[in-house]
Amino acid sequence: MNKIGGAVAGFFRGIGNFFGEFFAAVAKGDWAVKLSLLVWGAGYAKRRQYVKATIMTALEVGLILFSVCFASQYVPKFGTLGTVQMAQEFNIETMQMEFNDYDHSFLILLFSLFSFVVWAVGLVVWMRNTVACYRLQQAAEAGKHINTFKEDCREYLGDKFHITLLTLPIIGIVIFTVIPILLLIFVAFTNYDQQHMPPSALFTWVGFENFKSLFSSGGMTVTFGYAFVRVLGWTLVWAFFATFTTYFGGILMSLLLNSKKTRAPRLWRTLLVITIAVPQFVSLLLVRNFFSNGGIVNTLCARIGLTGWLRSIGLISTSYIPFLTAPGWAHVMIILINIWIGVPYQMLIATGILMNLPSDQLESARVDGANKFQTFRYITMPYMLQVTAPTLVTDFVKNINNFNVIYLLTDGVYTTTNQLMANSQAKEVDLLVTWLFNLTQNYYNYKMAAVIGIVVFIVCAVFTLVAFNFLIRGDKEGVYQ
Amino acid sequence: MKKLLSLLLAVTMVLSLGVFALADGPIEITVWGAEEDQTYLAERIEAFKAAYPDQEFDITLGVESESTAKDTILTDVEAAADVYAFASDQLPDLVNAGAILDLSTVEAALTALAGKTLDDIKAANVEGAITAATYNDKFYAFPFASDGFFMFYDPDYISAEQAETWEGLLDAAAAAGKKVGMTLASGWYNTAFFNAAGFSTSLNADGTTNMDWNGTSPDGYTGVQVVQAMQAIAGHDAFMAIADGDISNQIAGGDLAAVISGTWDTKLVSDTFGEDYEARALPLLTLGEDQVPTRGTVSFKMIGVNPYATNTGWAVMLAEFLTNEESQVARFEAREIPPTNIAASESEAVQANKGVVGLTEAAAVGVVQSVGGKYWDPTASFGEQIAQGTIGTDEASIQTALDQLVEGVTAPVG
Repeated sequence: MNKIGGAVAGFFRGIGNFFGEFFAAVAKGDWAVKLSLLVWGAGYAKRRQYVKATIMTALEVGLILFSVCFASQYVPKFGTLGTVQMAQEFNIETMQMEFNDYDHSFLILLFSLFSFVVWAVGLVVWMRNTVACYRLQQAAEAGKHINTFKEDCREYLGDKFHITLLTLPIIGIVIFTVIPILLLIFVAFTNYDQQHMPPSALFTWVGFENFKSLFSSGGMTVTFGYAFVRVLGWTLVWAFFATFTTYFGGILMSLLLNSKKTRAPRLWRTLLVITIAVPQFVSLLLVRNFFSNGGIVNTLCARIGLTGWLRSIGLISTSYIPFLTAPGWAHVMIILINIWIGVPYQMLIATGILMNLPSDQLESARVDGANKFQTFRYITMPYMLQVTAPTLVTDFVKNINNFNVIYLLTDGVYTTTNQLMANSQAKEVDLLVTWLFNLTQNYYNYKMAAVIGIVVFIVCAVFTLVAFNFLIRGDKEGVYQ
Repeated sequence: MKKLLSLLLAVTMVLSLGVFALADGPIEITVWGAEEDQTYLAERIEAFKAAYPDQEFDITLGVESESTAKDTILTDVEAAADVYAFASDQLPDLVNAGAILDLSTVEAALTALAGKTLDDIKAANVEGAITAATYNDKFYAFPFASDGFFMFYDPDYISAEQAETWEGLLDAAAAAGKKVGMTLASGWYNTAFFNAAGFSTSLNADGTTNMDWNGTSPDGYTGVQVVQAMQAIAGHDAFMAIADGDISNQIAGGDLAAVISGTWDTKLVSDTFGEDYEARALPLLTLGEDQVPTRGTVSFKMIGVNPYATNTGWAVMLAEFLTNEESQVARFEAREIPPTNIAASESEAVQANKGVVGLTEAAAVGVVQSVGGKYWDPTASFGEQIAQGTIGTDEASIQTALDQLVEGVTAPVG
């Protein structure tokens, strides 16, 4: 806990320093530093860094142009997300439609958000710029050497190379990760759905309405809360079983293959790895057809009398075994099929780790008279767990969002017989993420999908933080040794 | 510096205005049609160009199944095709999303260039198709094909008389050790039983669906009676409930003596049942003391125009051309798809096609479905419950199940 506290304190100290430096620069800076608050290049120009001065001023002009020409069209409408409804009229002269100057809620939301990010970055640059000018002033007053532009450039390839390297990835993360996530969060607070689809219709802010209807039944959608609890429950059950069955399955499989008594281990290993080589969607769709109501497995079971026997003991009421079409059956089948898909991966990982198992410890265990199970329980397993704990956590999170297996095995095959689930467009076998997909893809219910997306994020984040904190706390390192 | 400035200015301008040049020269139109229709559509597009030799065209043809058109179009209306084919049940969603053009706004162009009014088009096609292309009293699309389900049966096992009623049909199949297949887990199919009792659905302007299947129909039957009749059918040894989309597989499987399907399976049925197969309307359903026709769903395929098309006028001209009598005849010849154009469907070739006759017979008692997006999942689940026999046979359980169904279907959209 101290560590987390320290990290939080460090974070705020960092922010404090950042502002402190800026205000110190403004207070103690000479006229050029103060002028650089208005004209970004001023401080550099005074120190004869003309290229830098030009670049910074150009950046400033760019930012102002961006604000005036681009942001000003969208940001003022951010509060309402647009008020002018689209209207059109046909012009027989040109054979074309003529549109009014309508508002596009989604573009307003997206470009406003983009502008906010640009401005936030601009603010930081502006403050850092002032600080940099002040440092130049200090250097000049102390009689130190002032870098020329060439020397600055060389520095970015030498001492400050990390900055050069990280620039592109960070821009990428902001554009492709931060903005979409912020957009998703914003959409959760709007009424963006089928009835409010831009460009033909506008959508607007609704506050916490969507969260209310998710967490309370009797909201806008009658059974949403009912379905949500069940889907979340199955998501967690699935993630637990999918992670641990494949994990232990993989370890056992690799132990089996590593055993000296196993003949032709390479052959078996290759055969298992082939399941990885075949694209998942191909193998999953094939398996889905094998286990369908009229599929090959069902035909086989009917021929050997298994279906009839299951019927006679009352386990099924249909003329086929509903492997993937009845709750319970489908849940178990999905987990079993996932073992088949997932074990080879874990086996490869486990094999690698087992090969690095310190042989002196195994040796001494053998000398001390430990049997095979004891060796596994007290040496192999602790070692495995210590090395693979982080992957175990990420696997769990990955399984919470394991779209492929669930969607490919059940879409178009599984029809729920729970009317209340169906009324919310959910199925017993849905994970949060497949439900979310169905809501956006088939029902255009973007607002609820965004809400579910946020919930999935929170579930994953909380789990990851807690699990990492317990499983791989710093003090655990070295315990094994 | 100046260069940089002007560059920045240019970039911002482009970003902010999204300017595109006005078409000056060839008229650009993009068309989406089913994969099976590509050759046929390419030929008809050439015919369209030939019909207007003075105008230069640049028409691009893309693949998009009629059954999934809505999903792709609504992803980004402005990037979707100008002219697209879709199935009639998607119309409400397309209208609500503003993805389809109200044809009355461009009627002037149609009259000026093709010499047709919308009334001419309405008069040329069967009434059901026009109803299906109309939403909130506005006419949105040009219909070109009928779609719906009817019954195929194998006369080797089932006589024409036995095929009259569900009981006769199922008993005959059972006697022959064969099955009768139908999809129950789909609101497209299972509504047929409720329609039989006189129940109906309708759509409100806000996208919600009206449904009263848990009550009493105008014909005096209760929803409970209908479900009991369905349970009697689904519980029969010879009945096989087929998963949605699995019908063709099951026909090929060879266990069936009769199946509820559509024209798309005609060839397969002919191969499996033999060329002497029969096609007809669905059998009579027994409700209490009475026997009433099972009224299947009648759907249509139609072509709509994107309101965000660059060349709206010409796009409408092309859409009309691809659905006119000549095009419908050509389509029937290429694909054996029953036309909606009255003149086209009167031809001998169309009348001699058994599948088309079966569809026509089913359509005569059929119902044009009018439902919103919340209709499908609840009704699919309801059908599956009947197929699996999870609803109790007593009236109270059935009534509860029906109440839940209606609650789900009539739920607010959003």
